[in-house]
Amino acid sequence: MSLSISAIIMLIVGVVVLYGGLAYFIYRALKSKKE
Amino acid sequence: MAAIGSAVGLGNVWRFPYVCYKNGGGAFLIPYLIALFTAGIPLMILEFSLGHWSRSPPPLAFKKVNKKLEWVGWLSSLTPFVVASYYVVVMAWCFAYMVYSINLLWEPDAESFFFRFLGKTSGISEIGGISIPVLLGLIAIWLSIFIILYKGVDRIGKVVAITVPLPTALLIILTVRGLTLPGAIEGVSYYLTPDFSKLLNVNVWLSAYAQVFFSLSLAQGILITYASYLRRDSDISNNAFITSLADAGTSFLAGFTVFSVVGYLAYVKNVDINHLGIAGPHLTFITYPTAISLLPFASAIFGMMFYIALLTFGIDSAFSMIEPMASSLNRKWRISKFKATAIICLVGFMASLFFTTGSGIYWLDIVDHFIANFGLVTVGLLECVTLGYLYKVSFFREHANKTSDIRIGRWWDLLIRYVVPSILVMLLILSIVENLKKPYMGYPVYALIIAGALPIVFIVIASFVLQRVKR
Repeated sequence: MSLSISAIIMLIVGVVVLYGGLAYFIYRALKSKKE
Repeated sequence: MAAIGSAVGLGNVWRFPYVCYKNGGGAFLIPYLIALFTAGIPLMILEFSLGHWSRSPPPLAFKKVNKKLEWVGWLSSLTPFVVASYYVVVMAWCFAYMVYSINLLWEPDAESFFFRFLGKTSGISEIGGISIPVLLGLIAIWLSIFIILYKGVDRIGKVVAITVPLPTALLIILTVRGLTLPGAIEGVSYYLTPDFSKLLNVNVWLSAYAQVFFSLSLAQGILITYASYLRRDSDISNNAFITSLADAGTSFLAGFTVFSVVGYLAYVKNVDINHLGIAGPHLTFITYPTAISLLPFASAIFGMMFYIALLTFGIDSAFSMIEPMASSLNRKWRISKFKATAIICLVGFMASLFFTTGSGIYWLDIVDHFIANFGLVTVGLLECVTLGYLYKVSFFREHANKTSDIRIGRWWDLLIRYVVPSILVMLLILSIVENLKKPYMGYPVYALIIAGALPIVFIVIASFVLQRVKR
């Protein structure tokens, strides 16, 4: 059994929004600290 | 970092994956993310902003807003203290299981966990004896909380530098191990396959808001207290985004940890996943250890990793629940931090003892149900109403904008004044209706009054009394 396309899409949504968002805000925090 | 530690707790591992699975699988991510951005993050910015502006624990912060509102701050400091009294007991179970995992001494079945380990009695009216392993765990956890807190904020900083990254790393290792097991993909498929028809159900949306609200440590005075320790130039909005996304990201990851292993167990036992316990104590103390015991190698190591992860996730949340009260006593009556922490930990320990008895699990269930569904929601509502209507909410937006890289617009005022309170009122009404329809879990009415209503009445009265007692 493998993951359905809809499950893979939700996986990508979760990863992009949560971890992508987290990485983006950490990047902004580090950038403003440097400045 | 401390706010992340406070937000990420046992609930991320044992509640989110189950709530997600029950409410449409992957489709649940849609209301969950909407709830996160429309209620969780805005309310967190409000609490951070209040704490950062006032540089005070909740009672004194609300007093600075309006002299008559000090009781709201006491309410939000006392509520997590009551939560801590039983949260620590669950951590004591984890502590005992961590010790057992060294030699795989646990017997992972419901009979062993409930009756032999907890000494569960046949009914709530039969108190039963104290469980010694739980009592020892309880002493260890309360002592740890005291040692971490009495020295003040510097020690908290040092502790969370370990207790935030360590369990996350362990969770990643456990997830990788879980995903390499046979049957894991079937488990993950249960977790992620979306059922979009569930999005038409209003209860699914309310579950998403409730999950976000409870998971982020909102309305517990914790974020206000921690924000009061932040440097003047700390970026409030960015901190709120990072804390919320780290919490949600951990929950999402925990789903893979849990469902990969549950999928493996279903594969080995040749049963459907629905027949296995996948939430709460059942998941943590029966299903997961059963799966761990069946691993082909290094069962003890993975078992220990799991319970160390739970303990380290839990300890940050536990001491953050005590800190608002300890800090409030310290600041209002100039009681030394050592004394204030000692008093709170001692009272908390005494209260926890009740939950280590044979009927403790029944009482714990009732207190948790009422405090979460009525206590926290009411405090959140009071925060929105007092700060959103009786005081200019735009003041807190401007304060956050002064120090933040990301500027918040007027939309935030609308969320705090209309959206968040509406959701909280709906959650409250839903809880009231459900509890009036039938007694919670069929418990006798006297038990619901003692463990459900009385703690809430006590918190409200104590809040007004503490406001009246002069410095």
